[in-house]
Amino acid sequence: MALYIVEADCISCGDCEPVCPTQSITEGAIVFKIDKRTCTECEGDFDVPQCVKVCPIDNCILPLEA
Amino acid sequence: MSQNALSRELALRIGLAARALPDTDAKRLLTVLAHCVDAPLTEAKVAALDLLTLKTACRGEFSHLGDDVLQQALSILKNTAAEKILPAIVAYQEGDLPNSVRIACASDDAIHVNGHFGACTWFMVYQVNRDEARLVDIRTADIPQGLVVDDKNVFRAEQIQDCKVVYVTSVGGPAAAKIVKLGIHPMKLAEVVSLAEVIAELQQVMSATPPPWLAKAMGIAASERFKFEREAAGS
Repeated sequence: MALYIVEADCISCGDCEPVCPTQSITEGAIVFKIDKRTCTECEGDFDVPQCVKVCPIDNCILPLEA
Repeated sequence: MSQNALSRELALRIGLAARALPDTDAKRLLTVLAHCVDAPLTEAKVAALDLLTLKTACRGEFSHLGDDVLQQALSILKNTAAEKILPAIVAYQEGDLPNSVRIACASDDAIHVNGHFGACTWFMVYQVNRDEARLVDIRTADIPQGLVVDDKNVFRAEQIQDCKVVYVTSVGGPAAAKIVKLGIHPMKLAEVVSLAEVIAELQQVMSATPPPWLAKAMGIAASERFKFEREAAGS
């Protein structure tokens, strides 16, 4: 249970990084990335994933298929 | 309406001529022009206009203005200074420039990217690939008279919806969000630079390691992109 950032769509705006309650988002070599080991999809903190909420691009942050 | 019959070129020049006059928008100038000549307004009729007619028309609407500014507006109208003002549009057909992206630059003088997204005179639309850039269109984003739009910024963004990137010197936050929603990437420049510089810089990025979203816009296959990305990751 985690989210991931679609590399081809991320514009590296960085809006998602500060809103992550678990500090799972970091700037990678190419675009921002989500640490799947710590991402909780905001469960327990918020009703909806905060990164998805602030991301300006549609369908850029998606659930990782298990 | 007579303006509907206006040629694109002439309409652009009326807009520009209005800008040369203080406190004048295209609508005001058009009203005065309508008094100078009989409808419809044509190139030939505009070419025959003289300074005195313009100055005294419409019960002296422009009579308080200096002869020099009126003369300047007139020369813009008559296209006698046109080559200095608007560069020529080059024909473009889909597929002419492989791996190209279409960009728009907000400009007030057709030389620099110096426009505010919500207020610039023109969007200079270019098709750019690594080696070539073509000016494919010059668009005004003014709302046509009589048309009611909910949101000016959405309307303006829709005029350049075929572009992937829009370069501006300034853009408001909510407007930027609307631009992004239409799939256009707004780029706010820190200082005023020429259109040529902006394009050269973009071409440099395109030929080096384009960010994935740009590579996607360029139509570079994901497999090819992968190679770029590994190189980027390695450096």
